[in-house]
Amino acid sequence: MSLIQLLRVASLASAVFCFVFLVFLLVRTNALGRRKLFSVPRGSAGRGVVYAFGPGMMPWEKESAGGHLPTFIGGILYHAAIFIAFLYLFWVNLAPASIRPLRIFRIALFMGAAAGLALFVKRAVKPHLRRLSCPDDFFANLFVDFYLVISLCHTYFPRGEPLLLFSAIALFMYIPLGKIRHCFFFFYTRVLFGVFFGRRGVYPCSAPKA
Amino acid sequence: MTMEIVAEKKDALEVKLETLSEADLQAILKELERRLSADEAAFVHSCVRCGLCADSCHYYLANGELEDIPAYKLNLVAKVIKGLFTAGGKIAPGWTGARKLDRDLVRQWVDTLFGRCSGCGRCTINCTSGINIAAMIRMARGALAAADLVPPELQSTVMTAVNQGNNMGIPRQEWLDTVAWIEEELQAETQDRNARIPIDAKGVQFLYTVNPREPKFFPLSLLAAAKVFHAAGASWTFSSDYYDVTNYGLYSGDDAYAGMLSDRLYQATADLGAEVLVLGECGHGFNANRWEAPQWLHKRPPFPVKSVLEIIAAFVSQGRIRLDPARNQAPVTLHDPCNLVRYGGVIEEQRFLLKRAVADFREMRPNRQKNYCCGGGGGQLSMTRYAKRRLKAGRIKADQIRKTGAKIVAAPCHNCIDQLSELNREYKLGLEVKTVVEVVANALVLEPPAQL
Repeated sequence: MSLIQLLRVASLASAVFCFVFLVFLLVRTNALGRRKLFSVPRGSAGRGVVYAFGPGMMPWEKESAGGHLPTFIGGILYHAAIFIAFLYLFWVNLAPASIRPLRIFRIALFMGAAAGLALFVKRAVKPHLRRLSCPDDFFANLFVDFYLVISLCHTYFPRGEPLLLFSAIALFMYIPLGKIRHCFFFFYTRVLFGVFFGRRGVYPCSAPKA
Repeated sequence: MTMEIVAEKKDALEVKLETLSEADLQAILKELERRLSADEAAFVHSCVRCGLCADSCHYYLANGELEDIPAYKLNLVAKVIKGLFTAGGKIAPGWTGARKLDRDLVRQWVDTLFGRCSGCGRCTINCTSGINIAAMIRMARGALAAADLVPPELQSTVMTAVNQGNNMGIPRQEWLDTVAWIEEELQAETQDRNARIPIDAKGVQFLYTVNPREPKFFPLSLLAAAKVFHAAGASWTFSSDYYDVTNYGLYSGDDAYAGMLSDRLYQATADLGAEVLVLGECGHGFNANRWEAPQWLHKRPPFPVKSVLEIIAAFVSQGRIRLDPARNQAPVTLHDPCNLVRYGGVIEEQRFLLKRAVADFREMRPNRQKNYCCGGGGGQLSMTRYAKRRLKAGRIKADQIRKTGAKIVAAPCHNCIDQLSELNREYKLGLEVKTVVEVVANALVLEPPAQL
């Protein structure tokens, strides 16, 4: 087995490790137990969850998004690019090089990396945000930015594959250990948000507008 | 000599903070661990400290201090939880922002979690992840309560309700005398000598509960509700013992006391055989008794628990009362109490009523679920030590009201009414502050009593 083949297997294994570790964290979190809700619902938990992942994320619905549009858009580009970078990694591992849609990958990775760096600068420059942050906040951001840049470079220089695979392995190992674990818990928390406000008939409002 | 002693007497909370023992710290941690469920753990893992919640908090908007940012408040709690329960927090606390609970941190908890949060939940609906920050803060308040670290003014409000049946310590006879006096007023206003305010009537449809500030300071509020019930021909009653809709246990974070207070209302409803427990105009009382109490008590009440606004809106819909908006000519705006609206789901009923009861209704911007907190919630009104902060944070609400150009602000919550009245004076708004029921009662078209 060549070094590249070994690294490819290792990168896939680290991705599996990452996923399993996150699932373990989720199971451990769930093991703490959820409070049983006895109050009579006024609205629908299901509709609340749909709201939480739909209209509730929109800038016209959420002040923190609408009032910070550059950050909101930057965040979307950044996170979309991370998922695309992982897709690219699996493409590199599993699909023939001849059919890679390089242009799409490049645009997404470039915009995502730029957005990620902008978010890093914002965190470093704004005094309150800086003081709110811990080292992991800065490192995780830079680590992911680095990975996006490496992925982008790889689209131009395929011979740099060992570097891409090394950085992927390191990133997958780090994800469950630090703040990047929010990639799993974000969805968990949004569901809780939807259930909470949905049951209470707050989001969406259970009564027609007066 | 006496004056000197009084002047030198240290604040009980300060003394407690200075003499905090290891046993106190352990009591806080034990309670924190006891209350930590999957929800809170997920919240800890979800916060990315993006800081986008800052602008949603009226404290931050008014003061602009780091300690006012909801994510900062959340992380005061989260860092302790991380240190105790996460591998990263145990192995590399500095890296992940974890921290061991110590005296300094407890002092920050008390000052920030009690003194810079009204539990309004506006940060929750604006959080990128949807973290229920207010719930996390309440959990930490509950942990502080386990070590007697609730500001004494707030704790004494809880204990007065626990020991005397209502948070104002109104003796039973005084309550009964007030109701009897208001009944005479009701008869005079309605010109109906048969108009009654029943006490302990059995088998009625509604058991009505009020904020004890009404009999103590705002008896006309009682009269307004009585007029509406009378006009609708409703079958209703007060309880002679348990009529206090408030529940400051919601604010102190103490589930045991909070549950005890709510259970009294549930028990009174069951004992009188009332069909519906009707919660008067009190935001936190609604959240506590409608939504939280079933969880505190681990039981579902065998009767509906409703806001008086829902009941009166139904009276109007059913044609049981008629309203004449011409009787309220001055422009009216509506304040949305956080616990009733954002955490309670009673959003449109008050609008439905006001649009039929006033000639000129003006919405604030933003409104409904997104409305700003007045600053009076979270026990802030009772915690006098934080009064300056409370009034400063209230500037956001004052500006909002001023922009409407309204002359009357209607607020279906007596805590909000107290805060709005203070804001009215502080920011010279020149307003009248009323409950929704008072505005509705003023628009009531009373049918003359049948002649015998």
